[in-house]
Formats: sequence, structure tokens, C-alpha cells
Amino acid sequence: MSSETRREIGHDEFDPVGTLALIGLYFALLVVLWTVTYFFEFLGGDLTVVGVLL
Amino acid sequence: MNIHTYEKLWLGAAMVLIVFFIASVTYGAIGAGVAMVDDSEDTLDPDNLGEDDRFADPRVEQVGEDEYEVYVVARTFFFQPNPIEVPADSTVTFYVTSGDVIHSFSVVGTNANAMVIPGEVSTMTVEVGDPGEYGIVCNEYCGPGHHDMEGLLVVVPEDEFELEGDE
Repeated sequence: MSSETRREIGHDEFDPVGTLALIGLYFALLVVLWTVTYFFEFLGGDLTVVGVLL
Repeated sequence: MNIHTYEKLWLGAAMVLIVFFIASVTYGAIGAGVAMVDDSEDTLDPDNLGEDDRFADPRVEQVGEDEYEVYVVARTFFFQPNPIEVPADSTVTFYVTSGDVIHSFSVVGTNANAMVIPGEVSTMTVEVGDPGEYGIVCNEYCGPGHHDMEGLLVVVPEDEFELEGDE
């Protein structure tokens, strides 16, 4: 490990695709799980409590 | 400030996600009409439920076309009336009170779920769909028989439904 192999890159050359992919995956998971719990389980179930919004 | 492109991307996505959450709850409240359990009923004397017009005789009552009201009394360790029979595809309002200690009225697997407090009337209006049977349980520990406290809500096909005493 000599200092000669060191390389400097600019701000936007740093390219963490792994992190981006992971965040994308979490994001997709959040959207899917929210949609399932809210729209299908909560709103889709029978005996939905309704009333006037005060 | 120099923000990385990827960071801008996921910051923006997070904002959109929050807007989506708020929008879906707003849609639920305004579009689908989902409401909370009401707490606007007057209080009553839990020791004298027999003198209250609504709870002296716990029952199902028809108040309009496809609109029903159910007066339920929870006591250790049962619900009256039991079973509760309502017709399919109707709007049902439950008025639930307790004659002794704190109970709850929970229609299993649905959003109809409220605490039942002596002296208070829990009110919830629900849209009833297809025929079927639902269990009703008490989910507030109310005494040694709590685990046996259950009721039945039967949704019968509209043409088979008749009110008690209407035969």
C-alpha cells in the first residue's frame, strides 16, 4: 500500500449504486406494505366504521 | 451546499412518500368516509340501565330503509342481545354501554372495535356487506370470566331477515 496508488475522485464521481439499490428496495417495500395495510386490509375489510367527518 | 445526485433522489422520494401517506389517509376520511368511534353521546346511570329507553331492552331496531340501530349492553361476562342479527348490505349503528365494569365491543377481524365504559355510550356506524358470521369479543380484561365473554354477530341475507317479534 504505497501512497502512489491513492486516487482522488470528485464529489459526483462517487457512485454508491449499492446504497441506492438498497434504499430503492426499502422504498418499494414501504409503498407496497402501506398500500396493502391501508387500502386492502383497513379500507377493504367488511364492517368499515363510517360517519360524518367533524 | 453541494448535494449528491443520489441524495437528492432519495430526499425527493421520501417527500413524495409522506405526501402519499397523508393523501391516502385524507382519501380514507373523505372519499371512503371512514370515521372514528363517536364520543358525543350523553352519559347515563349504569346502575339503572333498566330505566333507559334504549338499554332496558337490548335489541335491533329498524330506523330507515337499510338502516338499523343496535342497542347492546355488555356485562360480566356476556353481551345482550346475543346473537345480534342484522341484514346484509345495510348501515348499522351500534350503541354499546356497560352495566358494570369496563368492557370492549370488538367485532373480530373488522374495524368495529370500541371500549365500553359504564355510564358512557360507545357509538359506531358500520357498513355491513355480505352475509356471514362475526365473533364479538371483549378485549378489556373485565374479570375471571373475561376469556369466555363473547357474542355473535350474524349478517343474514336481506330476504331472510326479520326483526324480533315481527314473525
